[in-house]
Amino acid sequence: MVESCYIPKDLKEALRIRKETQARPLAGGTDLMVVHRRGTGVVPSFPWPVMIVSRLPQLQGIFTDGNEIVIRSLVTCSEIEKNDDVPYQVRKAASLLGAHSLRNLATIGGNICNASPKGDLPVPLIMMDAKVVLLSATGKRILPLDEFITGPKKTALHSDEILTEIRIPVPTVPYSHIWYRKIGTRKANAISKLSMSAAITFSQERIVTDFRSANGASGPKVARSREVEQILIGTHAREIANKIPEILSAYDAILSPHAMPEYRRSSTRRMLHYFLTKAASEDCERIII
Amino acid sequence: MRQTPIGNPIRRVDAVAKAAGTLKYVADYHFDDMLYAKMVRSAVPRGKILSIDLPDLPTGYYFISHKDIPEGGKNQLQMIKSDYKCFAENEVRFIGETIGLLVGPDRGELEELLSKVDISYETQPYSVTIEEGLECKGGPFVGDDNLFCDFTIDKGDVDKVFKNADRIFEDEIRTGWQEHVHLETNGAVALCEGDKFVIYVSAQCPFYVRKSIAGLINRPYEDVIVRQTATGGAFGGKEHFPDVLAGPLLVATYTIGKPVQLIFDRFEDSAYSVKRHPSRTRFKTAVDDKGNIIAMDIDVVYNAGGYESCSYVVLQRGVFHATGVYNIPNSRVRGRAVATNTFPSDAFRGFGAPQTLFAVETHLNHIADSLHIDPLELKRRHFLKKGDVTVTNGHINENVVLPEMLQQVLDQSGYPEKVRTYEKGSYKGIGISFYNHGGAFTGNGEQMIIKAKVRLKKNRNGTVDLLIGSTEMGQGLQTALIKIVADALQIDPKYVRYPNPDTSKVADSGPTVASRSTMIVGKIAERAALSLKERWNESDELTVEEEYEHPEGFPWDQATFQGDAYIGYGWGACVVEVEVDPLTFEVNTTGIWSSHDVGVAIDELVVHGQVNGGIIQSLGYAAMEKLDFSQKTGFKQVGLSDYIIPTSMDFPSQRCTLVENPYEYGPSGAKGMGELVFNGASAAYVDAVSRAVNRPIYSIPIPPETITELIS
Repeated sequence: MVESCYIPKDLKEALRIRKETQARPLAGGTDLMVVHRRGTGVVPSFPWPVMIVSRLPQLQGIFTDGNEIVIRSLVTCSEIEKNDDVPYQVRKAASLLGAHSLRNLATIGGNICNASPKGDLPVPLIMMDAKVVLLSATGKRILPLDEFITGPKKTALHSDEILTEIRIPVPTVPYSHIWYRKIGTRKANAISKLSMSAAITFSQERIVTDFRSANGASGPKVARSREVEQILIGTHAREIANKIPEILSAYDAILSPHAMPEYRRSSTRRMLHYFLTKAASEDCERIII
Repeated sequence: MRQTPIGNPIRRVDAVAKAAGTLKYVADYHFDDMLYAKMVRSAVPRGKILSIDLPDLPTGYYFISHKDIPEGGKNQLQMIKSDYKCFAENEVRFIGETIGLLVGPDRGELEELLSKVDISYETQPYSVTIEEGLECKGGPFVGDDNLFCDFTIDKGDVDKVFKNADRIFEDEIRTGWQEHVHLETNGAVALCEGDKFVIYVSAQCPFYVRKSIAGLINRPYEDVIVRQTATGGAFGGKEHFPDVLAGPLLVATYTIGKPVQLIFDRFEDSAYSVKRHPSRTRFKTAVDDKGNIIAMDIDVVYNAGGYESCSYVVLQRGVFHATGVYNIPNSRVRGRAVATNTFPSDAFRGFGAPQTLFAVETHLNHIADSLHIDPLELKRRHFLKKGDVTVTNGHINENVVLPEMLQQVLDQSGYPEKVRTYEKGSYKGIGISFYNHGGAFTGNGEQMIIKAKVRLKKNRNGTVDLLIGSTEMGQGLQTALIKIVADALQIDPKYVRYPNPDTSKVADSGPTVASRSTMIVGKIAERAALSLKERWNESDELTVEEEYEHPEGFPWDQATFQGDAYIGYGWGACVVEVEVDPLTFEVNTTGIWSSHDVGVAIDELVVHGQVNGGIIQSLGYAAMEKLDFSQKTGFKQVGLSDYIIPTSMDFPSQRCTLVENPYEYGPSGAKGMGELVFNGASAAYVDAVSRAVNRPIYSIPIPPETITELIS
């Protein structure tokens, strides 16, 4: 039984309802409706009030703002998948999430606020230092996505806030090589067993100026470590091979998979090894597959 | 003379209604005053029920349990065995066992009440695996050894041959649980009609349901009318399991007097339904100095779960198929079905044969590896042929066209060339398997137990009704049987009607199982049609009925399992090619080729559909369909996001061919094929993966994480 259900007309009303009732936003419903289902022929029952926000015009759209790509929270995976302005890895992750019908409903805001350790979109977003904009009737906060998601199914969202935007900084020098791989339980309509998003940038002298890598389904939240990444910064391409063992063991230490630890750790090692070796070689595509 | 070959495809008779969504399934049936039911189930794998505390039930709500079974009624479901209880009484044997039904007008309210039912148990140590069952962990709960059945068949003199063997190979092969995942979940409605009781049910065997449940209310079979509703898939999961819904519903409607509906949602259908038997097959195989197999000593154990149901019969088929398509001069096969505290294992496409066929194929691959020859060389040397003696000392009575089938798959797949070029461990591999499936009931079961009948009725308007208990469940039976009857009558198939059976109106043609319906029921229908044709002008309205006739000269002794276990077999050959991702060990299947002998195809498109579906289901069984025990929900992988079946993206399109080999006792030469096509692809897949990563494989399924373990 739904105790209370609100359908706000606009963002302002939504923020007011949120403040007054703490009603939780329901957008595509692809997580919430499943979790709170009660069987055939019965409507789901939520333990708290909900508000259906899926039609709010202020939370739709993808645009560029200065050196940031902004994806508003109600943008669906299908829309992300088809938008050329969105970075490759985010599009790829969106395109591999669930089935067609799910991607038509599921929103980026929902995927982030659901905070599943197996969630697909946070992996490339955190790798790219994406930030989230949290709006309330009384103010606005901007947090790094990595800090916003605090643990499995846990976020730093306040009870009067709504996630309105995801802002992805565009690097001033484009990444030289990028990598995204999702290992699903099968080839389509699958939950991640493991996903990994990485990028590396070389200067003209073939010195590493940027390196970053993030893992999904490898611990309570997306695994990323700037200290580990730092090991490679300033390294010449031809020295990468020598640093791979150090990188691999340091990276391994940031993973804490609950199930199938051997598979998740060893596949990560092989993928990272492969990506770095490929990237270090002279003639290599930008998108490594 | 026939104008066109019977195999030429026609549009399936159920195609339009299914595509348009106008077909009515059991969940679409509504009756005045209809109540809904929710199952109250055991939450522990083994224990004594100490108390059941119910919340206060509002007016119009009921709790139905074994206490509502009327005097004279028996709290049992009469499957093959009658041990499955309709309602648990004092003890529970597995998580999900039916304890009662909550019945009432509002499903939301029922859900609420269900969450407030408080059952306390005295729990006991329980067994999950075959080994725990055999060790009688927590004490036996079936006999004094937890065995539902234990038997051995002998051919030749195994012990003597083993003494003279050049080499002996030992092996242990395992297979896991598999869930049916029929598109339509289980469901039924029970109601009173006059002084009779009616069950609307999604089921394969309406007469089985009637027989199974009438005793609950101490009534003759005829007082329970079963009407099969359009059935959205079954795969054996609706052979006996519908009784588990229909039984409690019958007691409910008997007690309350109103129609009661019970529909499982996907979670329930996946967690609390029967599964394929997990298996452990041990081999001891003797090989002579020329590399020929001279004897096999095989020990087969199936995990039957909490009740026997049809496990003895499933096990028999497993044992009779344990040496595959090979002529092994001396063999001994012991079969045991062990009780464990898991949801009962039951019928599933292949009915026990897929487990041992996978085992023997994989075992032969291991032997070939040790002998440093290609598995194909070892296998083809031992192919069964007409006149050969079977494991039950019967004979192969038909021409075996395996060599022709092999040639087809070799030509199409390029197997010989690929075996030469793909080095072992190169992450590319190709595998091959052979399999068969004995058509219809084992031995003389059709004659002694089933005694199928077929009724045809000619109507005034010239149409003909096919009145039988056999069911359409998506496999294409309505189309096949209509074609057979129309062909014999030499009329257009559109003048033959084949309604879903109602047990009060049709002849009992036996259960729709065991790949028997085209081969056995189709043959009787053909004879009935020929007899109707002869008498066509006798009257405007005319009914003819024919019975099963057992072919002469195929001896079988059911007490000792000696003789011709099956009169005709379907045969198959399959090649699968794979590439393994060296980073993630995900397997990409790059080619699937198969050839089958189904006698003569009654409809090539229907056969094609069965081959495609059966092979994909078999590949899913080998590659990804994993079920682990869970103390919480019975099985860990419940629902479709955790229990992984293949999508159309997971396997490439298939090349499938047939070798025509008319079967003397089948309609237009047809044999059974619905299960055959499931029986072999899993072994070819595992062979291919095993070569690609250069590691022997001993059990399925093999998801990427398991392949990682093999390699590291």
